[in-house]
Amino acid sequence: MRYRPRAEDFRIVQTLDQAIDFAAAFEASPNPYMLVTPDLRFAGMNAAFLAMVGATRDQLIGVRLFDLYDAGPGEEAPENLRQLRNSFDKVLATGERDHLALLDYAIPVVGPDGQMVHEDRHWSATNTPLFDDSGTLVFILQHATDITELVRVRRERETEPETSAMDMILGGGLIHRARAVQAANRKLEMERNRLVEMFMQAPGFVAILSGPNHVFQMYNTAYGELVGKRDLLGKSARDAVPEAASQGFFERLDTVFATGEAFQGRNSLVEIQRSPSGPPEVAWLDFIYQPVRDDDGRVVGIFVQGHDVTQTVLATERQKLMIGELNHRVKNTLATVQSIAMQTARSRPDPETFAESFQQRLLALSHTHDLLTRSYWEGADLRAILEHETAAHGPSRIALNGPPVALEPASALSFGMIFHELATNAAKYGALSSPGGRVFVDWSVANQADPRLHVIWRETGGPPVTVPKQRGFGSRLIERNIRHDLAGEAKLAYANDGLIAELSVPLSRGAQHNG
Amino acid sequence: MAEGLAGRRVLVVEDEALVAMLLEAILEDMGCIPVGAIATVDEALAVVAEDALLDAALLDVNVAGRQVFPIAEALKARGVPFVFSTGYGEGGLPDEWRSHPVVQKPFSENAIREALMRAMGVEQA
Repeated sequence: MRYRPRAEDFRIVQTLDQAIDFAAAFEASPNPYMLVTPDLRFAGMNAAFLAMVGATRDQLIGVRLFDLYDAGPGEEAPENLRQLRNSFDKVLATGERDHLALLDYAIPVVGPDGQMVHEDRHWSATNTPLFDDSGTLVFILQHATDITELVRVRRERETEPETSAMDMILGGGLIHRARAVQAANRKLEMERNRLVEMFMQAPGFVAILSGPNHVFQMYNTAYGELVGKRDLLGKSARDAVPEAASQGFFERLDTVFATGEAFQGRNSLVEIQRSPSGPPEVAWLDFIYQPVRDDDGRVVGIFVQGHDVTQTVLATERQKLMIGELNHRVKNTLATVQSIAMQTARSRPDPETFAESFQQRLLALSHTHDLLTRSYWEGADLRAILEHETAAHGPSRIALNGPPVALEPASALSFGMIFHELATNAAKYGALSSPGGRVFVDWSVANQADPRLHVIWRETGGPPVTVPKQRGFGSRLIERNIRHDLAGEAKLAYANDGLIAELSVPLSRGAQHNG
Repeated sequence: MAEGLAGRRVLVVEDEALVAMLLEAILEDMGCIPVGAIATVDEALAVVAEDALLDAALLDVNVAGRQVFPIAEALKARGVPFVFSTGYGEGGLPDEWRSHPVVQKPFSENAIREALMRAMGVEQA
């Protein structure tokens, strides 16, 4: 607990003196009482208590209870001490009274020879929380009755077989019941611990909120991780996770507490600090708020459980986005194919040559797609595209010479079509249509700051060149692709020796051209 | 058949050369005069600002990685009718443009004609 003992805690007796009636009554009560601070130091006690433990007030005030009373050296001592400590912890955690029907607890007393010895004692005790005006737990009042004598006499009686009226007189039944209750409590406590252990290790997040302000009474590791491992215990939900305000969660908790009806949230968006002092992060949660009721059916708290579905939600969104993008690309590619079909049909009206031309253009497009797929559509190398598009004409007749140049997908697709048209034209009318003809392709990249790619396609040794009467689809496609898609320039020169195509495109622009 | 469109100057905004060539061919078949094609939003905005004689426009929704809507706004301000073209399907348009005439890739000549006529308010033959 975060409680810090204050000086005035140790002046409880003086404080009580001011309320003379209470102090006098407290002091004079035949019932032994003592007060401890939340860090379990003696803060006050009455005469009956001092008489019961055989100590003076000066010996006790301000001293840690467990420093003086450690349950002694007995075999059962650690378990006994744990039971008492557990009772205090329970009061501190819940703010509610706790009963110890029967507690075995040895205390130090002056022995027959004047030495301090531990004497086994049996107690029945009640620990009651006391709060100040602001509702802070400031003391635990313990009413402990020493029932050692009762137990001892009872045990002696137990050696006698038959029960008698003596049992009743000595309260044997009471002790029996007390032992039974205590054993049942211990069993319950073990089961409770086992449940808590299960909650703590559950993969989903679990929290128990107490009271109308939803005070964190318990939360598991997964819950802690959800909120950046903050300390939540004892804090109200609004204080513990302030950034969730105005996101509707606290209002839901209020409603569940007020109406007693559970609430289920699915794929609920929350902005939450997931690392200490980090920025709020978006998370998606599936969760349920279940009311916790007391024996009378009143709602006393809320059980929260759920899990973080952020990764699932993000994956689904990514998938939707990818399917949308894929559909877009497919539709664009279909429009490209439609264009190739329509324009091939206009320049090749007879079905046979149309089919051949169309198919080759389709394959050229497909080849570049293959290259791009190999790099997961990061891009493709210029030489690889050239090799692909000219392979059919024999590598010995085509000389490729230039540095590696990485092309963006859109540029790669354009160059794939361009080189296909150039190679097809060379094979039909140009250098590759006669046995001695050759093609030299040289390229370079100038100006590294704003890189520009220059490609020269030079044909030699072909038949005499004639300037075509009208521009066919091939040459229009080359010019349009260079100018339109690549924002570059294309010069087609019909020199005597063969066609010379000079292409010049900015490389940085390629990145913008993928719509 | 498409008398209402004959002689109309239609701006084409499309970043893929092959698709632009297809649209130009389709428009020419309908008797229109294609203007462009323009491959970037900035160039298209300049044309819209300077060319006072535009009758209509065909706008690819995504041009060179940018959305075409600034051009649509400029055309709307000038009162020039236009048609979107998209590969994204019906859901590709934001709400404010959803009721606007749109043609899907790949195109049919009929779809382009009807969309243009609808945008221009020309009676269908």
